[in-house]
Amino acid sequence: MNAFNRAVARLLVVCTIGLGLPMPASAGIVTTDQIHASAERDRVRDFMAREDVRAQMQSYGVDTDTVRERVAAMTDEEVGELANRIDQMPAGGDVLGVIFLVFIILLVTDILGLTKVFPFTRSVR
Amino acid sequence: MRCRIRTPAIAGVLFLIVLLTGCTTPQVSALRANAPATLPPQIELATVPFFPQEEYQCGPAALATALVYGGVATSPAALVPQVYLPGREGSLQTEMLAATRRHDRLAYRLAPSLEDLLLEVAAGNPVIVLQNLSFAFAPVWHYAVVIGYDREREEIILRSGTTRRLVMTLSTFERIWARAAHWAMVALPPRQLPETAIEANYVAAAAALERVSAAGARQAYAAALEKWPANLAARIGAGNAAYALKDLAAAAISYHQATLDHPLAGDAWNNLAQVQFELGHRNEAMLAAQRAVALGGPRIADYRDTLKAIAASP
Repeated sequence: MNAFNRAVARLLVVCTIGLGLPMPASAGIVTTDQIHASAERDRVRDFMAREDVRAQMQSYGVDTDTVRERVAAMTDEEVGELANRIDQMPAGGDVLGVIFLVFIILLVTDILGLTKVFPFTRSVR
Repeated sequence: MRCRIRTPAIAGVLFLIVLLTGCTTPQVSALRANAPATLPPQIELATVPFFPQEEYQCGPAALATALVYGGVATSPAALVPQVYLPGREGSLQTEMLAATRRHDRLAYRLAPSLEDLLLEVAAGNPVIVLQNLSFAFAPVWHYAVVIGYDREREEIILRSGTTRRLVMTLSTFERIWARAAHWAMVALPPRQLPETAIEANYVAAAAALERVSAAGARQAYAAALEKWPANLAARIGAGNAAYALKDLAAAAISYHQATLDHPLAGDAWNNLAQVQFELGHRNEAMLAAQRAVALGGPRIADYRDTLKAIAASP
């Protein structure tokens, strides 16, 4: 698909689902989000970023029903930070799966107080 | 992938590490040199609940710890579908903040300061922290909740993973916390200001809460205005939250106050015009809308629409 087709496709996506673009609560009210945006944000770009994050989260195993609510609770800024970068962001998980050599090194660094991978170590000091 | 171990090389590395551990970490030294007088020597929030984490699920466990302590009826299992990302076997920081808002709690990110973190704990607020337990080249990201410290012994106390009361030295904590860019947050009832709240950041956090909970945001704006009565964004936000809750009279009072405190704020005049119009006060609405248009600014097109709608009505 060439660049032009992609652009047209994106535009069509916006046109077809764009009716759902987040509109202010009432036409007359300037929303708090608008006031907080340092410059006027590009609403279409924000919308696309939100769609990107949604799609990525689904590809990481979040089901369709819950993904919408999860993304809805994020601000435009937060969505902007995540878009296309979910794979690089830290994801707090846990300690399992550390391979053996690393295990030994980390055990030593734990004891030295440089790391704290294992709850059972007590650092020398 | 296989690694060949070379003993002298490892010995060298270890020697270097031993040299490195000799020094205290920067923020711990600073704290030692001049801690604020308001910081108690030691504290432990012993009643903070403990949820031993399931595999990979320190995010839901840490969040549940803070939320349940703040009076939310939830559990790690209930939070898994809100923060856990199966494909990454972990939880993103953004989602920890976003899920907090979904429980009507204000998610506030702390400044990257150990002193601020301890001040929050001393004020009775458990702090959720992200840590990189390992090194940057093989990160092990982990959420835990700081519940206490002892400055004399230079120790910090956490609810962490499967350990109910994990005690580590402040220096070790600072190292693994620094490797996660000193990320820390509190999840508080919206009427309660964080001890270390910074005006602009707090009001932005309240606006983020407004996305999912107008009622919660309304309380958060009220708390902000008590401390910073001249904050324009909080004043208009309070109006917008009241407006979203269909409390037009309260919204009008907030917008009106905003125009008194900030007569050059077009947004305040515009919103006042709209709500006066909806309350049936056409003349006041007209005057306010004209004022907004006269002031102009980046949203002048919106102000013109408001004025046009009012003028078109009988």
